[in-house]
Amino acid sequence: MTAAVAVGLLVAGGVYLILQRGLLRVVLGFVLLGHGVNVLVVAAGGMQRRAAPLLDRTDPEVSADPLPQAFVLTAIVITFAITVYLLGLLRADPDRGTGTARR
Amino acid sequence: MILLLALGAMFALASAVPMLVPRLGRDTGYALALGFLGVGALLLTTAPVGLAGGTVEGTWRWLPTLGVEFALRIDGLAALFCLLVLGVGALIMAYCPRYLGEHEPAGPVYALLTVFAGAMLGLVLAADLVLLYVFWELTTVTSFFLIKTAGAKAGPPASRALLVTAGGGLALLVAVVLTGLAAGTTDLATILASPELVLDSPFAGAIGALLVVAAFTKSAQLPFQFWLPGAMVAMTPVSAYLHAATMVKAGVYLLMRFTPVFAGQPAWAAVLVTGGLLTAVVGAFLALREHDLKAILAQSTVSQLGLLIAAIGVGTSAALAAAALHTVAHALFKATLFMLVGIIDHEAGSRDVRELSGLRRAMPVTAALTGLAALSMAGVPPLLGFVSKESLFEGFVDADFAPGAGPVAATLAVAASALTFAYGTRILWGAFGGELRQTGLYEPPVAFLVPAAVPAVAGLVLGPAVFLLDPIAGRAVADIDPVPELPAYELWHGFSVELLMSAATIALGVALFLARDRVDRAVRRVRVPDGARIFDAGQAAVLRLGALTGRPDRTGPAPMLARPLVGAVLLGAVVLLAGGLTDGLPARLATSGPLDLPVLALLALTVAATVAARGALAAVALVGAVGLVVAVWFLLAGAPDVALTLLLVEVLTAVVAVFVLRGQPARLSPAPRRRAVPAAALALATGAVAALATAALTGRREVSATGDYLLRNAEAQTGGTNVVNTILVDFRGMDTLGEAIVVGAAALGLLTLIGPPSAASPYTRPAGDGPVLGLATRVLAPGMLVLSAYLFLRGHDEPGGGFIAALVAGAALAFVHLAHGPGTRLLRALRAERLVGAGLVLSLLVGLGGSVAGPGFLAPLDVAGLSTALVFDLGIYLLVLGLLQAAVERLGAGEPVARAREATR
Repeated sequence: MTAAVAVGLLVAGGVYLILQRGLLRVVLGFVLLGHGVNVLVVAAGGMQRRAAPLLDRTDPEVSADPLPQAFVLTAIVITFAITVYLLGLLRADPDRGTGTARR
Repeated sequence: MILLLALGAMFALASAVPMLVPRLGRDTGYALALGFLGVGALLLTTAPVGLAGGTVEGTWRWLPTLGVEFALRIDGLAALFCLLVLGVGALIMAYCPRYLGEHEPAGPVYALLTVFAGAMLGLVLAADLVLLYVFWELTTVTSFFLIKTAGAKAGPPASRALLVTAGGGLALLVAVVLTGLAAGTTDLATILASPELVLDSPFAGAIGALLVVAAFTKSAQLPFQFWLPGAMVAMTPVSAYLHAATMVKAGVYLLMRFTPVFAGQPAWAAVLVTGGLLTAVVGAFLALREHDLKAILAQSTVSQLGLLIAAIGVGTSAALAAAALHTVAHALFKATLFMLVGIIDHEAGSRDVRELSGLRRAMPVTAALTGLAALSMAGVPPLLGFVSKESLFEGFVDADFAPGAGPVAATLAVAASALTFAYGTRILWGAFGGELRQTGLYEPPVAFLVPAAVPAVAGLVLGPAVFLLDPIAGRAVADIDPVPELPAYELWHGFSVELLMSAATIALGVALFLARDRVDRAVRRVRVPDGARIFDAGQAAVLRLGALTGRPDRTGPAPMLARPLVGAVLLGAVVLLAGGLTDGLPARLATSGPLDLPVLALLALTVAATVAARGALAAVALVGAVGLVVAVWFLLAGAPDVALTLLLVEVLTAVVAVFVLRGQPARLSPAPRRRAVPAAALALATGAVAALATAALTGRREVSATGDYLLRNAEAQTGGTNVVNTILVDFRGMDTLGEAIVVGAAALGLLTLIGPPSAASPYTRPAGDGPVLGLATRVLAPGMLVLSAYLFLRGHDEPGGGFIAALVAGAALAFVHLAHGPGTRLLRALRAERLVGAGLVLSLLVGLGGSVAGPGFLAPLDVAGLSTALVFDLGIYLLVLGLLQAAVERLGAGEPVARAREATR
């Protein structure tokens, strides 16, 4: 339940931001959308079992599903790489950055 | 094994170039020439087997699921082309040092030429069609980059060459796939041994046609021939090697290779003979219209390739033997002529026959060598060109795919050859005849002449001694000829039809030479359609069509993003109305934990604040806060690794964003109401649909089968107890490698997007916070690096691993940069491109190690009690660190590019 609401909040915020002028808000909206999808993927693994998948301290019977976690970990790093690149684009063309005319 | 070694040696040579150039400069060419000869010697060890009629092969597992193998094989035909690639290659490499200027960037040219030679060698050695295709495309790509080294003016011709030859490459790919379907295998030997596999299939016609398209584009035959003269903007060694001696012969090789399948098919013969001879005549005619020596040679190459392809089309033993011989002869005289034209250009400063005159007085040796090569091209006895051309004539007389084909083909061949004689003499007379008008011209140094002299003299010696070529060219023909009949080449054919044809050629050629002024005026009056212009017009039309199709999405940022979102909302509404989202919803909703609600409240608060933020810095900080809340949510969901990664990513994103925001307006432009209201409505609707979809699609109670398997088996199979990390480095390494490559690409993209910080805009340290931040860095940075190492090492068992550890180290780098600027020793020592390169190489090496010694690509190996998964993780570590270093180095330095430009205005 909470996962659904969290995804809804993140997606709504992200969509609003990418529809604005200025690359910076688009980049930030992209980050929020990324969070939304990541939450969705982890939630897809089930929210009943919530113990960390560390075998030396958790019983495999109650551990959370590790596979979506590995996917999300990869996704976070990719999102980060893309975000940094988008910020680089913003830097290369600063006039489009915040949507405000430069003084 | 020898074959793989030879091929590997070529690519090893290419990767050694960046190390050789700083030491040897332009003389690197000599070392590479020696390397080429070494590889040739290596291949020569297979000669005894080859001469006895056998083949040497080597096969390695490549794509087992497709039944495709990395298979190399050397037979007579492959050996003939290897000889060309390595022999001419060595000469060109020895020619380059004196051709290249003292200060020209020799590195890229040498590296690309060597990669090209390797690709060409792979192309002719490939024993599997898929492998052949891969090397075919590699030669196309290296050709593109080599043309591009000539600078900005080379852009359009390089693109034309790439588009035409890559288009042909696609035709080849389709042909390969269809052949695979028809024959059930892509192994060349199997296909060639039983032509009926292809011929009896419904694809036979399509395969033949596609192969012809591939060969005609690569070997510049009508109507695709226009790219080759355009490619002459490349520097002369490139033109001589790729666009005269080797790459354009790839089409010839392909057609020869498939002769056992298609020879004797009337359509095959008709297309090749007609297309080839028309190209031969048109090319020779166009050559006669040119004044630029290099342009003459380019059109001449088109024409000579036409003769070769027509001879392959005839397909008789005599014609194929002639084609094999003429391939060698053409490589010898054309490479010589190109090298000599390069010398003339170098010494006299021009390649235009109208400007050059009387050079024989200043450069007698150059003149003599040019004479040897040009006369060989013209087919004058006793040079090798004469022998090969007579053999070609002999072949054309036999053409029998249609009634009367023989005499027509022979006539066209004589016409093309007479024109060849005429432009051959035009080169000689234009550059070397008449009065010497320039002063201060001297013979070039011996080292410059020798590489051109070797093939010129070889053409002279091999004419009378053509029997020396019997073994190699003979074996080549024996490999492709359906009715093996070993040819014996001779200088003197006796009083035959061919001799008459040669005599007619020379007589006509002399007549054209004597009447050169009138001929010149006449040929220039003929209007010829410009293939390049037609191609450009077509390309421009396609681009316009693309622009037209994409126009609706380019009217602004919002509409292009809004439309798919509206679509998603509508889709959600439809599914909701159909009841698809609400079934069993209550049961799924009962999965909340006690702390979930406060976290959710925090999330709502931070997201709302982000959306409402008016300051750029505030928005960045608030997005960071959202990230932290999400990280807490992950922690509650039982994903500590994910939470830790996200935490670090948020910190670093904020740091990079702050770097970027320096020099930007601090306030975000307020959204006008007419934009804000629809955007908000759409955002809320999309959020609602996303929430409903999440509720509908999640809420699973049992762990997935894969997850269960991993939880039960991870420790036993990998020795690691952190299951998430074992998935990343042991079980699903391929995903991680893909992700690491994205990271590397982003880092390299950043490095190219934003050039190195210029010395003109030095980093200015922010005033006031120096001592405090500096001291803090001294204390904290070493600690962070130690922490990073610790997190890395324990990653297999506890939260940590390559990603997380690299992010911690990256945070330390950013910290050092903020405190001390980019001049710090640590930051200068860590070069982003090196980190990325080392990371990629390390990960790929581990992967290949798994293929060679273990069960498959990226499969972890156990070496002395340590898993190679750790080394793989180190590769990931270096790649992520490379991205961070690139961000810190480029985004954190000085002023933004545009601003610096404004300041200098």
